Amino acid sequence: MNYSLISLEIAVVILGLGLLLADLWIRPEQKTRLGYLAALGVGLILFWSFKFSGVPSASAFNGMFVLDPLALYFQRFFLLAAIIVLIMSVAFAGRIATGISEYYSLIIFALAGMMFAASANDLALLFVALELITVTFYVLTSFQRARLASLEAGVKYLIIGALSSAFLVYGIALVFGTTGQLNFNRIAAVASEFADNRVFLLGILFILVGLSFKLAAFPAHLWAPDVYQGSPVPTTAFLAVGSKAAGFVLLLRLLFTAVPAITERWNDLLIVVAMVTILYGNLCAIPQRNLKRIFGYSSIANAGYLLMGVAALSGAGRAAVLYYLGGYLFAVLAAFLVILLVMNEVEGEDISALAGLNQRSPLLAAALTCSMVSLAGIPPLAGFFGKFLLIKAALEQGAIDPLYYWLVGVAFLGVIISISYYFGVIRAIYWSKEPPVLSAIPVPLILRLALYVCLAGMFYLGLFPNTVVELANAAVKVLAVR
Amino acid sequence: MSPVGPHHYLIVSGLLFSLGLLGVIMRRNLLVIYMCLELMLNAANLALVALSHFNGKLDGQIMVFFIITVAAAEVAVGLALIVALYRKRQTAHVEDLTSLKF
Repeated sequence: MNYSLISLEIAVVILGLGLLLADLWIRPEQKTRLGYLAALGVGLILFWSFKFSGVPSASAFNGMFVLDPLALYFQRFFLLAAIIVLIMSVAFAGRIATGISEYYSLIIFALAGMMFAASANDLALLFVALELITVTFYVLTSFQRARLASLEAGVKYLIIGALSSAFLVYGIALVFGTTGQLNFNRIAAVASEFADNRVFLLGILFILVGLSFKLAAFPAHLWAPDVYQGSPVPTTAFLAVGSKAAGFVLLLRLLFTAVPAITERWNDLLIVVAMVTILYGNLCAIPQRNLKRIFGYSSIANAGYLLMGVAALSGAGRAAVLYYLGGYLFAVLAAFLVILLVMNEVEGEDISALAGLNQRSPLLAAALTCSMVSLAGIPPLAGFFGKFLLIKAALEQGAIDPLYYWLVGVAFLGVIISISYYFGVIRAIYWSKEPPVLSAIPVPLILRLALYVCLAGMFYLGLFPNTVVELANAAVKVLAVR
Repeated sequence: MSPVGPHHYLIVSGLLFSLGLLGVIMRRNLLVIYMCLELMLNAANLALVALSHFNGKLDGQIMVFFIITVAAAEVAVGLALIVALYRKRQTAHVEDLTSLKF
């Protein structure tokens, strides 16, 4: 067996363990800086991952683990997200009472779980990778033990997370019980015999319910606003980007590798779930005043848009999902970087804390504005082209099933509703009455660099989408051949 | 009397799963909810072991080992969280989790 296939994951796990060990020998006042070391390590692994670029798809552990362009796309996505989240955690360290190095290493372990998820081609690895992410996030969400909100977010995440893993496991049991297989390719080989077996279909449905928790999509979406609001800011950012993307790569692999025939029969179900998710997220976000809570609802709405690409059942739709996730990464991380820096200065997470931000720090104001514009789907930023691709993919299927036109209509409605609350944030930045404080907000160099990277990413993806669209197209090809 | 077949095990595990789900929905104490969640996981374990036997494949039984290990980790973290919450609020009831809402 070729162990070099999992060398990226091994490197990530070793980095996490190394951080835990380093904690023993480092003086307390220097522990905060360990985060930069972790970010550097993840950066090196990201650099190393390009060594695998031209390598043909290969699998290890009896087909359980695959390394193909799709896995690589998502692994780089997770590594990039983790670097920015680690930099954020260093800036957040002042508000974490104890154990900052454990916080860094837990982020790394969650990253390891996400990277395994990107390569999972077997229900057993799917389960273990998802649980590695979920259990580390239980701790990450409740890391500010002195804050009641953080603990409460942790408990809510725990209960709903454990409930959805129970559904996932039971679904796996049913699928294994009927087909006798856990591997996606081997399930695909026999799935046609079980196309009308109710127990098998129930199993697939339960697995999808379990996965919808990770996506923050209907029916397991209720945790998102509370947990986003209560968690420490870097955790929320990683939850919004990494955890959601891990859910999507698993969903894509399961739906299009293991049970493609059933996916095609269930496209109405996927469309309805996408519509409900888009409407719920957008409608509930309108009255919100807490910034992190707005992102909780916006995350649900975005899961709905992404599901639209999955429901389109075409290569273009799947590629649009990958592209959209890229734009989403930069927009959300830029927004959370700004929220982190503003919250370090002002108490409370209310939208009114942004008052006068354009005078206090034009860079932060511009970054948050760009992020909102991108999330709202206004040209020329990444979010616009992502939504364009998703809607185009759904429209192309409209001739087959008129329900797709309804889906596109709901998506447009969602975009229009979302403009109202995204622009509420922009209005708070530029046009609030009598801002209470006007002291400048210092932006440390490394955070400024991270912000520039996010801004550059949003503009690059929006203005020159071809490179990433081609990458995404190449990545989703592995799903279609089987 | 017919011999015990796979569907008997499926019915029992389905009952266990539904009981656990009902408990999660109906009960108000966090610890009891957590016990019900474990019941749901064990329902899946029962189904996996039994169906693995009838399929003549060991994959399902190996999967059970993974599930037990993960469930142990989950319980360790979960109980610690519930204890931390209890120390802060002196309560383990879901109605008292009210600091996060709009």
